[in-house]
Amino acid sequence: MIAETVFNQGFEVEGGDFVRGGEASCRILEILKELAFPPSIVRRAGIAAYEAEMNIVMYADDGGLELTVTPDRIVIVVADRGQGIPDIELAMRDGYSTATDEIREMGFGAGMGLPNIKKNSDEMKISSTLGEGTRVEIVIKANHGEVRCEDSRPCAES
Amino acid sequence: MRIPDHALRVDPARCTGCVECTRACPAKAIRVRDNVAQVLPERCIDCGECYRVCPQRAIVPVTTTHTDVSTFKYKVALPSPALYSQFGPSTLPEDVLQALLSLGFDLAYDKAYACELVFADVKSYIEENYAGEPFISPVCPAVTRLIQLMFPALTGQILPFRPPREVAAKAIKADVTGRLNIPEDEIGVIHITPCLAKLAAMINPPTAERSSLDGAVGISEVYGSMLVALKQAKSDRKARSMHHSSGAGIGFGRAGGEVADLGIEETLAVSGVMDTIKILKDLERGKLRHIKYLECQICPGGCIGGPLTVQNRFIASNTITEFVKLFGARPDIEDMMKAGGHEREHFRLSKAILPAAIPPLDADTSFAIGKMRLREDIFRKLPGKNCAACGAPDCMTLADDIVRGHAKIEDCVFIRADGRSE
Repeated sequence: MIAETVFNQGFEVEGGDFVRGGEASCRILEILKELAFPPSIVRRAGIAAYEAEMNIVMYADDGGLELTVTPDRIVIVVADRGQGIPDIELAMRDGYSTATDEIREMGFGAGMGLPNIKKNSDEMKISSTLGEGTRVEIVIKANHGEVRCEDSRPCAES
Repeated sequence: MRIPDHALRVDPARCTGCVECTRACPAKAIRVRDNVAQVLPERCIDCGECYRVCPQRAIVPVTTTHTDVSTFKYKVALPSPALYSQFGPSTLPEDVLQALLSLGFDLAYDKAYACELVFADVKSYIEENYAGEPFISPVCPAVTRLIQLMFPALTGQILPFRPPREVAAKAIKADVTGRLNIPEDEIGVIHITPCLAKLAAMINPPTAERSSLDGAVGISEVYGSMLVALKQAKSDRKARSMHHSSGAGIGFGRAGGEVADLGIEETLAVSGVMDTIKILKDLERGKLRHIKYLECQICPGGCIGGPLTVQNRFIASNTITEFVKLFGARPDIEDMMKAGGHEREHFRLSKAILPAAIPPLDADTSFAIGKMRLREDIFRKLPGKNCAACGAPDCMTLADDIVRGHAKIEDCVFIRADGRSE
């Protein structure tokens, strides 16, 4: 069964497609529920994946999410082809955003994307090359006994 | 036979196995086996979509019968505010309540009043307890069940209030027992319901709390006799005192009624099963950050769009608009609490609503991963036409059923045909 304990699936995301944007994270949520992860873990992964997916939609030309699941960890690698992030440290700050007014009008681009991904993941690695694109690796561990939740409300029972 | 824990049955004599219900079911809870629709009780959310679409009328609501009602010594009708919307604006709530009495009920209780009473308290609860995540309405039982099954992480966000119908039923029993000295078990509180979900929630409550209701009769089932009784009730209009609700309470009969009554700015009202699923998916992914209260109703347009209503829901909505104007704003909560001798703790759930998630592919993630990979392999072999001829609503669901051991790949007509030709 060892070889069988990895599940891997990729999802393509198109820049600027606000209509379909969000479908990949929806699918990831469904998959994680079917794989018996506790609701609080699923929810954190869903929020992180959604934010990352919308970053592609909002800022990149195209890209994708790659989900890799083992019984003890969920890894989501988000890679895009696009403008890249000039100053990652700045982009990680709450409220910092380069979103256009149009994007803000739609309720996005509040500068909470990357900080929110970090908040909902156990490990987050980000690298970016200007003019080429950005890669974010999100890791959520599934086997820590105590369910962690940084939201102001307590997590639902797992 | 009734589907366990639910308020419907499939009539095998009428069902032709046409798969209309299978495809319409938003919970993917119906399979056609041996040419008869089968409802999977652990997946059904009681939305009634199958009942709406069945061309053979083979999906039958299992409501409370006349005989069941007559076993109670004291019979109380508790009509959904949606009932008021069914007969046009010239038929007043008073008339409707009076007509219910002539149908044989000893008391007709204005449930709309319980709605505005409970929600007056909900408003202050939200203001005191909001902590960054929206509260979800506890009123529509199909929504509660949908959340328990498909959005287990959100169950903690369902407002910990008893639905107004339960608050009303409990209060009525206490009142009748006190006033008339009739034991509680001889009082039957019967909900006059626009849907199957209310009855299902009585049979199988979302918490460990027992329901205070004793049965439910569909609006469509009493509609004919109501028309006759209303004629008499309207010709004989005298000062009566059964109708207490303001426009606010009557507004609960349709979508948006709860948020209109709350009068809080950061609220959202959604109705219809697909739109409800969509908004819950948004909520699950952290999209609704600025909303304090989310009203969701499984039926389009709210209770007036329920599968057991008769009137066109847009016409019904006009009638409600008239009543909202006519009966105005609700009184101050403190006055209402004092007048009725109510206590806030009666409004609150004593037990938590717990998730009842659809079982994962396997309780052990390692095995679940193996099964998911297997499911992908099976899915790739299927034709992808989503024809539902196998009895499952689509190819992915058939693959899922196969992995869970409930179906086999030969159930697919295309696979069978290929097998024969080889």
